[in-house]
Amino acid sequence: MADVRNGIATRAGAMILAPVGWLANLFDSPLRMLQRRTGSNGMAVFFLAPNMLVFGIFVLFPLVINILYSMTGGGALFLGDRTFVGADQYGRLFSCSSYLDPKSCIEDLFWIAVWNTLAFVVLQVAMMVAVALVTALVLNRELRARSFWRAVFFFPVLLSPVVVGLIWRWILQRQGLLNLMVFEAGGTPVNWLVERNWAFTAAIMVSVWAHVGFYALILLAGLQAIPKDLYEAAEMDGTRPLRVFWRITLPLLAPNLLVVLVLTLIRAVQIFDEVYVLTGGGPGTSTLFLTQYIYEVGFASMLRNPGLASAASILMGAVLVVLTLIQLGIARRNEQRGKMR
Amino acid sequence: MSQITLTGVSRAFGKVGVLHDINLNILDGELIVFVGPSGCGKSTLLRLIAGLDRPTGGAIAIDGKDVTTVPAADRGLAMVFQSYALYPHMSVRQNLAFGLENARMARAEIDARIAEAARMLEIAPYLDRRPGQLSGGQRQRVAIGRAIVRNPTAFLLDEPLSNLDAELRISTRAELAALHERLSATMVYVTHDQIEAMTLADRIVVLRAGRIEQIGTPLDLYNHPANLFVAGFIGAPRMNFLPVKVAAGGTGRSSLTLDGSAGFEIDGNVSAVNGDVTLGQRPHHISLADAGKGDIAARVALVEALGSETIVHTKTSGGQTMLAVVAGQCPVASGDTVDLKFDTSHLHLFDDTGQRIAVS
Ligand SMILES: Nc1ncnc2c1ncn2[C@@H]1O[C@H](COP(=O)(O)OP(=O)(O)OP(=O)(O)O)[C@@H](O)[C@H]1O
Ligand SMILES: [Mg+2]
Repeated sequence: MADVRNGIATRAGAMILAPVGWLANLFDSPLRMLQRRTGSNGMAVFFLAPNMLVFGIFVLFPLVINILYSMTGGGALFLGDRTFVGADQYGRLFSCSSYLDPKSCIEDLFWIAVWNTLAFVVLQVAMMVAVALVTALVLNRELRARSFWRAVFFFPVLLSPVVVGLIWRWILQRQGLLNLMVFEAGGTPVNWLVERNWAFTAAIMVSVWAHVGFYALILLAGLQAIPKDLYEAAEMDGTRPLRVFWRITLPLLAPNLLVVLVLTLIRAVQIFDEVYVLTGGGPGTSTLFLTQYIYEVGFASMLRNPGLASAASILMGAVLVVLTLIQLGIARRNEQRGKMR
Repeated sequence: MSQITLTGVSRAFGKVGVLHDINLNILDGELIVFVGPSGCGKSTLLRLIAGLDRPTGGAIAIDGKDVTTVPAADRGLAMVFQSYALYPHMSVRQNLAFGLENARMARAEIDARIAEAARMLEIAPYLDRRPGQLSGGQRQRVAIGRAIVRNPTAFLLDEPLSNLDAELRISTRAELAALHERLSATMVYVTHDQIEAMTLADRIVVLRAGRIEQIGTPLDLYNHPANLFVAGFIGAPRMNFLPVKVAAGGTGRSSLTLDGSAGFEIDGNVSAVNGDVTLGQRPHHISLADAGKGDIAARVALVEALGSETIVHTKTSGGQTMLAVVAGQCPVASGDTVDLKFDTSHLHLFDDTGQRIAVS
């Protein structure tokens, strides 16, 4: 039976691959000719060029333009129409009598966004890592319908951030699902998205809900890579469960935890879409984060100031570059340690 | 004192029975070896004794105390895993200390035990290294060290040598034997290598498909295999088997007929007269004879000259492959026709169910 199935699979595979092979042959002789002409370095350039072109147009070029924008002023859109102001935009962002008190700054919204983002990053990252870890630990147990539960936790990752924001707005708004349930249970409904602390909490919860499946998956992979033997050895050694967790699971999961930590950090700094849809930055400015500030200053507000937005985005970019370098360093170290084992 | 008694132990995974009605009494200070082909349930049985797994039937007792439902940690046993299962993020010292710290032992006592084990196993220079920085042989010693420091009532070892290369395996085998001698501890040792079993064991338990085929000392099993399986499993090269007919011979003798023609008589009465039986003879007990002087003619198919002895592979006219091991070097070549001579004092007979037939 298995043989028959294999036979069918092989034949089906061959049928699918036939046109691929035909296409490959079609390109074969021109490619060979090109290689003879240009040598293997030339071939490398030939294959890399399309990618480099896309990267250049959509990443490198905008980056350079952005730096230039951050050194110009006025509301004009085209770079040629704009006046050069040097580091004025940066100076404007940093002109405060006290950085801790946004009201003392010229760009008070920038500093509100900075402090909001910082608070969000600290709380959300802690929450995310904790929830991802607990989820992974639970999913790693021999529970019934394990793959179903994995899918359940991973599903939100597949949703568009806008959909996530909308779903939770329906749940959390004044006449939403949650208040209906609170009311049915005899409680007093809360205006979740209008009260400052609740709105901030909701922003954290929703973003954790939306992404935790991804990070839990990374941790789950790490947990499954820990040999079962070690747990049996620990059992023979008479190790209490909590000690097993602290002394065996956690240290062996540390590389994965670090990856998750840095990845969540990078994403938390950039938080925007789902929270913007959920709260729009409100109530007031209580859920205004950096990306939203940049977006609004650059494109959306009455007093459009693309130069200022560019300057703010460059500052944020610098933070992200540092975090990314840390992440790459960790990845390289893990790789080396993996080789050593 | 540490005597381990298994009574009617069985283990099934779902509907699949893996161990059936295992009865075994492991004596204090004994090195007992479980041997058998891959998948016969050796590891499963060891894990049941360890407490890492629970039997679906039967009982396990240590020193007369029923431990069937006692957790692994409270059985006072230590296990050496095939993969060694050393904690990779801890130094060798921490690996050795881990179980003792769990038991809340005093630091000084822990250090003393580690020092003693390190001395005994010659791992003192590596105590501050991680397992990943050790060779296979060194890791293996650390794994044994981790068991020794616990001062267990019995050691359980699951194929502890299988990850070592051939040379190291032989030297470590000797060290293990010496260690057993020195600690005079009960050891339960799993292997699928019958030479390991023969060299190490006080007693061997031969397992097949989850059942015990025979229990006995190595020479017991070699000289008096209880059935065809044990006869074929213990001893290398494997025992030769030939179908023969047995009949009553002269007084106090029985006659065996090979291939319908050739035959010979042996001392003693065979309980199953006039039947088809299987004759077994170890290659070392077969000798080459001049044409017409042997018991059966055969054609040489392959000659393996090892110098100290020569293994001659032959094929009889009935199509049976027969091996003969001849001491020293022997001038036969493949294609030659030789006569094989049996050693009638070392014959084994098995009935049609494969059980040994007594010759009285
Ligand atoms: N957790 C399990 N679930 C289902 N079947 C299992 C499980 N553990 C072992 N088995 C089955 O039990 C049988 C015996 O396994 P076991 O590991 O005891 O064999 P073994 O004698 O140690 O073999 P080897 O020499 O290859 O290590 C095998 O057929 C195996 O497939
Ligand atoms: Mg095994």
